[in-house]
Amino acid sequence: MLALLVKRMLSSIPVLLVVATLTFFLMRAVPGGPFDADKNLPPAIVANLNAKYQLDKPVAQQYFIYLSRLAKGDLGISYKYVNRTVQDILAEAVPVSFQLGFSALLLAVIIGIPLGTLAAVNRGSWLDVTAMFLSTAGISVPGFVIGAFLIFVFGIWLKVLPVALWETPWHMILPALTLAFSPAAYLARLTRASVLEVLEKDWVRTARSKGLSRWSTVMKHTLRNALVPVATVLGPLTAILITGSFVVEYLYAIPGMGRFFVTAVTNRDYDLIMGTTLVFAAILIVTNAIVDVVYQVLDPRMKVEG
Amino acid sequence: MTASLSAEPVKAVSRVELAFGRLKKIPSAYIAFWIVCLICLIALMSAVGVPLSAYSFDQATEDLLVGPSMKHLMGTDELGRDLFARVIYGSRLSIAIGFVTAGVAFVLGTTYGAISGYCGGKIDTILMRGVDIAYSLPDLLVMILVGVLIGKGTFGILFALGLVSWMGTARLVRAQMLQLKEEEFVEAAKAAGQDGLTIVLKHLLPNAMGPIIVALTFTVPSAILSESTLSFIGLGLSAPECSWGTLASDGWRSLRSYPHLLGFPSLFIFMTVLSFNCLGDGLRDVLDPRTRLFKG
Repeated sequence: MLALLVKRMLSSIPVLLVVATLTFFLMRAVPGGPFDADKNLPPAIVANLNAKYQLDKPVAQQYFIYLSRLAKGDLGISYKYVNRTVQDILAEAVPVSFQLGFSALLLAVIIGIPLGTLAAVNRGSWLDVTAMFLSTAGISVPGFVIGAFLIFVFGIWLKVLPVALWETPWHMILPALTLAFSPAAYLARLTRASVLEVLEKDWVRTARSKGLSRWSTVMKHTLRNALVPVATVLGPLTAILITGSFVVEYLYAIPGMGRFFVTAVTNRDYDLIMGTTLVFAAILIVTNAIVDVVYQVLDPRMKVEG
Repeated sequence: MTASLSAEPVKAVSRVELAFGRLKKIPSAYIAFWIVCLICLIALMSAVGVPLSAYSFDQATEDLLVGPSMKHLMGTDELGRDLFARVIYGSRLSIAIGFVTAGVAFVLGTTYGAISGYCGGKIDTILMRGVDIAYSLPDLLVMILVGVLIGKGTFGILFALGLVSWMGTARLVRAQMLQLKEEEFVEAAKAAGQDGLTIVLKHLLPNAMGPIIVALTFTVPSAILSESTLSFIGLGLSAPECSWGTLASDGWRSLRSYPHLLGFPSLFIFMTVLSFNCLGDGLRDVLDPRTRLFKG
């Protein structure tokens, strides 16, 4: 299992290289450089700055300079956050995004999967109808609307929870809830559809006819099979939650990767864009590899090629 | 000859009518269908210049930042512009972005998927591997990177949305092609000497239209959501462009004192996206009961 995991990770190095290359040339292909926004800079100083950061060389040469630095583990420095290396910034931002992403994932799983299962088991009842309406509504609300609503109710109106920054566990509640909302709704829909499908299988009928109670049929015979498709989306979902918290980090002024990525892109902060993009890609690859392995454990019928 | 010609349109209509008849039996989808029609009608009328509000766009009134009242149904903003008029005006861009993205997804995704599925073999493996990699990247990440680098504004955002939205359709069309090309009528067409393009266009695609329409129905709301989200964090559209996303983004800054400025545009985004999702769910039951199409 570990060997498979390691093999998957090694085979992902070319993918990282492709991502790095695409991002690099995409960044350079568009007009505008990191020092354009600082107006009033005399041309001589801009030229000096460009020379210092080797931005005056041909793009192809810059690309190889970047790759050779990357091979040594040097991600470069930020042009905007003065005197801070990309490593420094990422070392601070990545844990924040992980905490936020995982707490949201946990909430989404705790809410979504039981809700979907309950809805499927009680198909057609008021519980099912309510749960499904809620979850359809849940995937239809933009994240910023949930966030603004929670901020308004708990932060401004009731004044019980802090609405910005990332300091105490209390600061985590609203952002994690905001981020978890639509994945929870999505998981509920997915779980319901999947459980409904498995409930019609022969082995479920057999288990019922052997006299097993309804709930132990669901818990022991249905869920394990029904959760396979759910587990497959959990991988991409984890990645999306860790990497895709731009909106939540923007709303709550959280110093995570998403926030740095967005500002880096607007500032043309080349090395920081590259650094965050590569970390995003690496997280995606690792989570997908883990999911493949978990997938095999859950359902031995699936033999995933390494 | 004449008989077969006159029979043709009748058959085509009956297929749509049949689907519509079944849709009528799903209340949520049927209601959603009419709400979608209404919203599209509002956007269309606004686009051709029918005044739908007492205060046309850009016509500032003397009432600055008042709350909802009979005079201003949704209140006014800091320049005295009637929010109801602004929301109606914004609908044209939001709705247009949704439909254009679905159109791009249809053209790109269908072409790509059809080539991949019909050719099969090595071409299929390579094309689908590409989609797998691209599909695993978070949409928002790609859209921010591409959209912002290409430039803000309607074109940049359409390009970014188009880029991330066709892959689902491509996968779907490929799967349909793989399945359908084994059918006997394809063999018959081949035996009759028809070339690959004709077979794909005349025999395979029409049979795959149901699931494709369902997928596109879900593309529209997700594009509307993405546009508003990007505009909200300041990486999508910005003034003078006016969409529900930019309105919400403006409203966010004054949430503390004037929540109506964020509330009403958000309500419209929510209603529209919810209606499209309910309609999509219904259409899936009607047109394509086997496939699950939503994406995380």
